[in-house]
Amino acid sequence: MQTEQHFSASGIPIKDIYTPEDTKGLDYDKDLGIAGEPPFTRGPYPTMYRGQVWTIRRLTGFNTPEDSNKLYREQYELGQTGFSVAPDITTAIGVDADDPMVEYEIGHSGLPLNTIEDVDVAFDGLPIDRASTYLAERGPITAMYFAVAEKRGIDLKQLRGTTAGCMISWGVLNIPLQPPPRGYRRYGADFIEWCSEVAPKWNPICHDSYNVRDLGLNAYEELGMLFASAIDFVEEEKRRGRIPLDRFVRRFAFNTAAHNDFFEEIAKIRAARRIWYKIVTDRYGIQDPNCAKFRVHVQSSGSTHTAQEPYNNLIRIAYQTLAAVLGGAQSIHANGYDEAVCLPTDQSMLLSIRTEQIAALETGVTNTIDPLGGSYYIESLTDELEERTWEYIKMIEDMGGMAQAMQDGWYHRLLMDKPIERQKKVDSGEIPIVGVNIFRSEKQPYKVPIFKPDPATSREIQAEKLRKFREKRDKAKHAEAMKRLVEACNSDENVYPYVFEAVKVGATFGEVSRAQVDAYGEWPYPIGL
Amino acid sequence: MVKAGLEGHWAGLIVVSNALRDAGFEVIYGGNMTPAEVAATAAQEDVNVVGISSLTANYMLTVPAVIRGLKERGKGDVLLLLGGTIYEDDFDALKKMGVAGIFTPGTPMEEIVNFVREKTSAMVK
Repeated sequence: MQTEQHFSASGIPIKDIYTPEDTKGLDYDKDLGIAGEPPFTRGPYPTMYRGQVWTIRRLTGFNTPEDSNKLYREQYELGQTGFSVAPDITTAIGVDADDPMVEYEIGHSGLPLNTIEDVDVAFDGLPIDRASTYLAERGPITAMYFAVAEKRGIDLKQLRGTTAGCMISWGVLNIPLQPPPRGYRRYGADFIEWCSEVAPKWNPICHDSYNVRDLGLNAYEELGMLFASAIDFVEEEKRRGRIPLDRFVRRFAFNTAAHNDFFEEIAKIRAARRIWYKIVTDRYGIQDPNCAKFRVHVQSSGSTHTAQEPYNNLIRIAYQTLAAVLGGAQSIHANGYDEAVCLPTDQSMLLSIRTEQIAALETGVTNTIDPLGGSYYIESLTDELEERTWEYIKMIEDMGGMAQAMQDGWYHRLLMDKPIERQKKVDSGEIPIVGVNIFRSEKQPYKVPIFKPDPATSREIQAEKLRKFREKRDKAKHAEAMKRLVEACNSDENVYPYVFEAVKVGATFGEVSRAQVDAYGEWPYPIGL
Repeated sequence: MVKAGLEGHWAGLIVVSNALRDAGFEVIYGGNMTPAEVAATAAQEDVNVVGISSLTANYMLTVPAVIRGLKERGKGDVLLLLGGTIYEDDFDALKKMGVAGIFTPGTPMEEIVNFVREKTSAMVK
């Protein structure tokens, strides 16, 4: 008997019950296989969490490199197993703390990283030779990180970590002083090639759909845009023809959101693995299966959190974390439950780490690999998401690929429409949010502890450090290195050997960034009503 | 409707701007502006309402700067709205400064629209 029609969060019609009929087209060896073997639907590694549980990695940073270092040390002591660095908005833009443009933003929503010294301080005393690091930036800060590692006697060939560098994630920021998408992609390609030489174990790019998902894309739109962006980089490298594809494709990392629809999110991660395998193997003919492993960091979805009754968020985060685990993520960030209210408190940070540890050690979900594999529902949903994702990828490719779709304004128009669309569904009750548009309390039933950063002092501290830094650097060497960097930016040469040289002799991130942008001119973002 | 400073997080600003426009208001979407630019634009466009969005806890610095600028330009009487992640223990101080309405995440659009309509009905003849 058919009850009322149900839909997944992405609008996929869901039946009242799934049976063998729904998976009869499934060819086990071709479509699933065991974990660690093509097409990797069940997992990229043969032992998965039985061998090693996912990396607990929270993206954080605030106030100053000094304060953030204290935070990273605390997180490490609590059992976090990887570092993840969120630069503040001024660093994301590429302006230094003493730039007149910057007045109120130092140390907000991240930490300022202006110089090699800042990077050194942020990682002081942390075992970066053993634990891996994620840097939410696009290349120059990684060059500083490499220089710091070198100075500590660490072999760059063994250094592990990831640089963000993703177009679709960066485009969301809507910040000034950015190059156009083709410039952004060029520096990304330069960085990928440079890393494959100097730090072959480093992931030079992390294709990241978290931000676009949080703005309102659904599960298959998220995957579609994610892969369209990854494909764009492979195409760019193919066009440049400087290194063989298998050299860098193996080091592509991915980052997605874990949203509310539990089973759909699990199916999404499984589908993503099969899609990436097909892209690498069928489309690009890369034979080494190691290149076709979709390795993913998953973060619980901030847009699902509410300021009303903030403790409700910890339940949402736990479910989303569990979906990431059952989907087989390699690295997970469980958000702070209080992030719709304030920057996370120490207590909320602790809870995030514990949320992951409880999932890993108490629930038993890590005992076997891909425990939901073979479920009529999950397999059917995995197929459906795969099919819809291919269509979405094709749509973007028909527009000329991801960078072109950004250049032409499609991407920003879409991202402006999506939150408006979502809000209308929230206002109408079509999307239920407990405590907000359903079971809403008239008065807030309780308060949670809050954390407030000190917005006034970070800028002074940082600007003063910069003044001293600029004073003591070798001015002649710095000027020479900057001159060579500017020349490289304005040529076809790979800029990163010059970036590396420049930051080692005291070039600031702002200076490097300005040189990169000036070669293309600032791109005005098409955001507005 | 602006972000007074450099932060990203523009989705809320777009959503509220759109809701106000749908409700019949003429909306100028300023995007990211410095506090001085906010005041200059508000004066130049002779607006009745200035809406500021902040999700990075910098509003205790930017809002007073905007208010100073507005007063200098003789626009101290605009209806000033603030939205985003605003700490409850700052509400009183903000209201004393002259912020008329504070809206945190999860506020129904209708509530914001009604607030603006009610408060501006006397301003606009």
